[in-house]
Amino acid sequence: MIKISHVSRIELEIRSLDALIAACNRLGFRFVKNQNTYKWYGRWIGDSPLPDGIRKQDLGKCDHAIKIPDCNYEIGVVKKGGIYILLWDSWESKLRLAVGNNGGILKQAYTQEAIKQHAKLKGYLVTEKKTEKGIRLHLHK
Amino acid sequence: MKEIIIDISDDGEISIETRGFKGKACLEESQFIKDLLGQELSSRLTPAYYETNKTQSKKYLKLCG
Repeated sequence: MIKISHVSRIELEIRSLDALIAACNRLGFRFVKNQNTYKWYGRWIGDSPLPDGIRKQDLGKCDHAIKIPDCNYEIGVVKKGGIYILLWDSWESKLRLAVGNNGGILKQAYTQEAIKQHAKLKGYLVTEKKTEKGIRLHLHK
Repeated sequence: MKEIIIDISDDGEISIETRGFKGKACLEESQFIKDLLGQELSSRLTPAYYETNKTQSKKYLKLCG
């Protein structure tokens, strides 16, 4: 029997633009480099908390954008320090469904791509499996 | 076999398990994933973490000549 030696929980931070672009391709989204605004309601009405480091006046502005088929609103990609923050208006149900609760579907795809790109360099083989609660990546060597 | 299992829930929650490692190697081997993905919120070490890779060797001494 193979024993578990340690278990960690991670708060995802988007650090690789390449992996984010690959995640968009995987999901059929279109990543638009250097698009400086993204479509949203246009006025913050306090229906969801602002992400850390983002002020009301920052909404609608971005460094890159993500377009999702059949959605009117877009996702803004904002560079803050060494990480990328995703901004979107979750009011549009199609957009909400496409990116998942709390952006989970996009986060899953990003994690898959980021791991796939780096695990091979470390000599690991990567396999993916759908589970009841999400996706499992299995790295082994 | 050395294994790292990464579970990503549909809500975007990530958990990592290491299997088949003994001692601190599991922390070293999985560090690149933590560096890649973000901040570690919690970590739990299991009894296998405290095991070592040392194998017991027996020495036999001649008792009579």
